[in-house]
Amino acid sequence: MNTARAELRKLLTLPSLRLTVLLTWTAHLALTCAYRVAESRGEPLGDNAALAPIVYTQAGFLVLGVLAASSEYEEGGQIRTTLLASPRRLPLQAVKALTLAVVTLPVAATTAATSALPAGEATWTPAATAYLTLTTLLGAAFATVVRRSVLAVILLLGLYFIAGPLLRAWFATSAAYLPDTAALDPSRGAAATVGWTLCALALAALTFHRRDA
Amino acid sequence: MVRLVRAELRKLFGLPTAWVGLVLGTLAAPLIVLLNAPYTRRAIAAGTVTDTSDLGLRELGLGLIGPMILGVIMVSSEYTSTGPDSPGARQLTTTLTAVPDRRRLLTAKTTALVLVVAAQAAVTATAALSLAEVLHGDHTSMPAAARVAGAILYWTLTALLAYAITLITRNGIVPLTFLIINSAVVSVSYLLTKVTDLAAYLPDIVGARMFLRTADFPVEISPLTAGLVMTAWVAALLAVGGVLFHRRDV
Amino acid sequence: MITIDRVSKTKSRTQILYDVSFEARPGRVTGFLGPNGAGKTSTLRILLGLDRPQSGTALICGRPYRKLDRPLTTVGALLDGSGAHRARKARAHLRWVAASNGLPDSRVDEVLEIVGLTGAARKRAGRFSLGMSRRLGLATALLGDPEVLVLDEPVNGLDPAGIRWIREFLKDSAAQGRTVLLSSHLMGELAEIADDVIVIDKGRVVIQGRLAEVTGGHRTLEDAFLALTAADSGGSW
Repeated sequence: MNTARAELRKLLTLPSLRLTVLLTWTAHLALTCAYRVAESRGEPLGDNAALAPIVYTQAGFLVLGVLAASSEYEEGGQIRTTLLASPRRLPLQAVKALTLAVVTLPVAATTAATSALPAGEATWTPAATAYLTLTTLLGAAFATVVRRSVLAVILLLGLYFIAGPLLRAWFATSAAYLPDTAALDPSRGAAATVGWTLCALALAALTFHRRDA
Repeated sequence: MVRLVRAELRKLFGLPTAWVGLVLGTLAAPLIVLLNAPYTRRAIAAGTVTDTSDLGLRELGLGLIGPMILGVIMVSSEYTSTGPDSPGARQLTTTLTAVPDRRRLLTAKTTALVLVVAAQAAVTATAALSLAEVLHGDHTSMPAAARVAGAILYWTLTALLAYAITLITRNGIVPLTFLIINSAVVSVSYLLTKVTDLAAYLPDIVGARMFLRTADFPVEISPLTAGLVMTAWVAALLAVGGVLFHRRDV
Repeated sequence: MITIDRVSKTKSRTQILYDVSFEARPGRVTGFLGPNGAGKTSTLRILLGLDRPQSGTALICGRPYRKLDRPLTTVGALLDGSGAHRARKARAHLRWVAASNGLPDSRVDEVLEIVGLTGAARKRAGRFSLGMSRRLGLATALLGDPEVLVLDEPVNGLDPAGIRWIREFLKDSAAQGRTVLLSSHLMGELAEIADDVIVIDKGRVVIQGRLAEVTGGHRTLEDAFLALTAADSGGSW
């Protein structure tokens, strides 16, 4: 479909996305090594060392989603060009989300495999891949509503790294409702991640459909 | 110079994101002291927390997102484009037209930042400590002034750290992402201390020694040394950032 | 053919367009004239489906913009700036726009040639000068070889050579049967290009008709315009 080809070309020619992927991969590799060294020194950092680096690396995927979406709204007003080319907004939003997911999947898969395979926990790779991809979509949906990359990053990272852990510490039941729980405990948090992502995408589609360009 | 600092302050307070940093940074620590109160009380009663000298100060760590945002936004706002007709121009163009001497500009910006975050630190520390006193007064006493000063210094240096990194990267997303992740409860720096003892000298880890007593560190460092190490880090990064800012095209 | 019928728009509780109605016919250059803030851009954005009116319709070839299939083959629009992301290279920008409407990649090089940006194709849009940005925007508008051209202040930022180029280009386009609608606040320029003129002030259409009719007994279009918009109410008549 034409819109999909266009969105794909957009994603593949945005330098900031390439940089984000590179930084995320590098960080994940470094963290995986750090975890292994720590374990070998006898200071294990938790039981699921195969997936633990993902708790940090997911930030890179959030940023990836934010940058992909907010690139339409940065100075230059590309969103107008996009809407002139594809004026039907709901299909446009759907295609945007799908192409982003398609582009993110290989990145997520390689990231997940990097830490899961060496630790012998290859079975976690598909779940981790799905989680990271959904996280990117969540970031993109957020940025579509907020439209400003710095603010979206602050809010998302604040939620994932400060508010989330605090809420989990104070109210144990909240864990099932927070989007990032799946990174720590996949069985408990999967539904929340999917739910949050779908709600965010719906909200983004709704606001995008109604407001002026 | 006073005029320049005032201009920088006015610019800062005109940014909505700066207000996010101000509000979050000021309210976070006292709020957490408040919401943590029942757990703290239980932990003290159960004997799992024996050393309460860090009460009220420890929570300040979670408010660090505030000074980080302020430090980053101080620079990154200059690099946002001014409009669709000239995507190459940035606010920095206007700023440098008004203040062509880059050294004076940086001095003014740095001063403005320090004033704002130091004031914010004083406010949030007072609020957090007062709350801790009210809620857990029978188990803890107000920490020595030197320790509170250490906390304020840590807060200010963190903002300057964010500021210096953004001077180098010019883009706000990279430093913000990295710093916010690092201010989480289990930070990357802390992780690295498990890998190598050298990580104990990372700015955010070593700086905490200025005012925290109960955190576990692999290496014993005195508060004074800690302060000097963190200041050295910040000074070095500021120097690099300053030189780059001075020499680069806009 | 463009048909705007009783379009009204409210923004932040202020009404900015009052029952705006006019037509732009094929084979003619229609000038949309008014001071800054009169409502020209707002009207064009509604025409192009970017904003929604509170009432009224804006149709291109009998259909609203959002209902057009592959709209860039029917309408080419030039708004402010280049419409490109500043980190993207000019060619990469045009390539994704071409893909979005199923246009062949060969069109990219063709339009770059038309606007004279072939040499700057590998440059990032953020490094373009003001004039180059407008030309990139125009190139984007021409990708689909559309029969309707909608331009908002097209000469803004162009040097004298560029202004002459655009003038000839738009006249030729109209001569080839295209519908050309351009907005401007520069009367002198518009008087050189336009066949039909619509004058808008404070959100209302003040007068519309052929250039000679609108100029009326005044010496220049500018005199006519200032006389027409001097009245406080600015109502249509």
